[in-house]
Amino acid sequence: MSILLDVRNVVQTYTTARTMFGRTSEIRAVDGIDLTVREGEILGIVGESGSGKSTLGRMLLGLETPSRGEVIYRGNPMPPPHSVEWRALRAHMQLIFQDPLAALDRRMTIARQIAEPLEIHGLAKGDALRNRVAELMAKVGLRKDQANRYPHELSGGQRQRVVIARALASAPRFLVCDEPVSALDVSIQAQVVNLLRDLQERERLTMVFISHDLKVVRNICDRVAVMYLGRVVEEAPSDQIFSDPRHPYTQALVSSIPRPGQGLSGRIVLSGEPPNPANRPTGCAFHPRCRFADAQCAATQPELQRHDGHLAACLKFVRARQFAA
Amino acid sequence: MAFVSIRDLRVAFDGVRVLHGIDLDIGKGEAIGLVGESGCGKSVTWLAALGLLPGKARVEGSVTLDGQQLIGAPRSQLEQIRGARIAMIFQDPSSSLNPVQRVGRQIGESLRLHRGLRGAQARTEVLRLMDMVGIPDAKRRIDLYPHEFSGGQCQRIMIAMALAGQPDLLIADEPTTALDATIQAQILELLSGIRRETGMALVFISHDLGAVSAVCDRAAVMYAGRIVETNDIRSLFAAPAHPYTQGLLRAIPDIDASRARLVPIEGTVPDPAALPTGCAFAPRCPRNSQLCQNYAPDLKPQSAGGVVSCFYPVEADQTAMSQRQEVWA
Repeated sequence: MSILLDVRNVVQTYTTARTMFGRTSEIRAVDGIDLTVREGEILGIVGESGSGKSTLGRMLLGLETPSRGEVIYRGNPMPPPHSVEWRALRAHMQLIFQDPLAALDRRMTIARQIAEPLEIHGLAKGDALRNRVAELMAKVGLRKDQANRYPHELSGGQRQRVVIARALASAPRFLVCDEPVSALDVSIQAQVVNLLRDLQERERLTMVFISHDLKVVRNICDRVAVMYLGRVVEEAPSDQIFSDPRHPYTQALVSSIPRPGQGLSGRIVLSGEPPNPANRPTGCAFHPRCRFADAQCAATQPELQRHDGHLAACLKFVRARQFAA
Repeated sequence: MAFVSIRDLRVAFDGVRVLHGIDLDIGKGEAIGLVGESGCGKSVTWLAALGLLPGKARVEGSVTLDGQQLIGAPRSQLEQIRGARIAMIFQDPSSSLNPVQRVGRQIGESLRLHRGLRGAQARTEVLRLMDMVGIPDAKRRIDLYPHEFSGGQCQRIMIAMALAGQPDLLIADEPTTALDATIQAQILELLSGIRRETGMALVFISHDLGAVSAVCDRAAVMYAGRIVETNDIRSLFAAPAHPYTQGLLRAIPDIDASRARLVPIEGTVPDPAALPTGCAFAPRCPRNSQLCQNYAPDLKPQSAGGVVSCFYPVEADQTAMSQRQEVWA
């Protein structure tokens, strides 16, 4: 598979507002990530809130320019935001958000909203436009009679279908889905996940799927990167990362998934809170919560290293057997 | 007699009925889960029971606590019960806490109202409660404001406030939904630990079947304002009898299986103002017949245990059941 996006050592720093004493502080939302997105795959990005998932997603789309490092799209550096090249790229890459009601315009019918990107990019007019909108609505499973409805007249699952149809309007090659099913009920969530899978297979789309719902990630993604405090701590094919997690954080994350019909036994419950990016621990950022950490972990920041098909950033590679025990 | 007993509880907003006769018993110290999709009436059931619904809601039926009727009870009487006998925590802790009051004072308020504790005595008890819910360094943090705590810690503070009145029943309405996976695991463990220690009963309202099975002994599944199935957790997950329960379980992606296609429940939840005449689930049900479209089934006890409201309940598949039971063993 050829490489669609290549992320090279990107860092994203935000500066906080001045405090009463005129001080500002810097927050590293993303702290040195190397990642590739291959053509036609679904790459999952998981992690807790504040781990930098969404910031990474926005940099993959070129919506934000990294403070350091670069993002290469199909062999060329990502053009700076709002440039002519950047605008042309918008049709090729799209973003799907968590909350469809916030992403849609309440005063526009859904057919108008799906047509909008086609008009902006000058892709269709008149009858061709109407036909393309009808085709997109059918593709995501919306009925013809819903074309003139407003967002508030639709259910949550239907609204997310509208958002997906609109994202697909310009026939993009690359889609970033940021928590696309988190706001939906279980039965509807399954409908939307199936839809995304079908679209990816049929249209050969490349997708980055950002989610904190590991069950959904497991189901839809080919490969998964686990983030902790702005860094990737483990990356592996989906099957491997869930059956045999190597990084202690991934192990805790996988074991924390409540399984229907099973109690609390055998879970690794992490103590402490996810750390604050404004106040990052020394060495390995995970060491204050890690059950295997020692003095070395507090001093040295581990790099990603290859380990039986996994990439993991941990000084003490924990074997699967210890996890099972 | 059950500790809390709900009988034929019905609620209507502006003439639209959203709760169609709920019957539920909760024993002393029992943990029961209330499961269902948004809008099915899980939260409304308890808001109605505690008299917390807005004035335009019409509430009928009966909710008794140790034989004492709550529906239609005067405000003064309800205030003796809310917080003191039955406490409630909600999904979003940061919007339930007062942002301009120190957390110690907010927990102290519950102690003053429900247990008459003041001054140094109250402060000692606040520290004990903060310790109990796992807030590290409580002595130093008692005088901080809610924004100085993370989401998970705010939920712990809410739990401490709820425990301040030493309630016999805690109603937790989606308490872990807004939290990260590892913090969710901590709160679930905290809730089960507190229940073991205090012997308090727990109603756990959630759409997350996994979280419910982690802390509850028994669960009731709700759909469109009715309970459609109740059973003990093991049997419910091993052999769901209502097609809706089965559908919900199938729709959850399996973390141990590879990339199989998900099995959604087709269609959407019906509009409460335009419910189907018969069984509310019939339009989405793979097993429906003419009978289901014309008549709504009653909740009936099943030979295998539990109660189900379905004309064509799913028979327990023996092999699947024994496999699930092995997982449990």
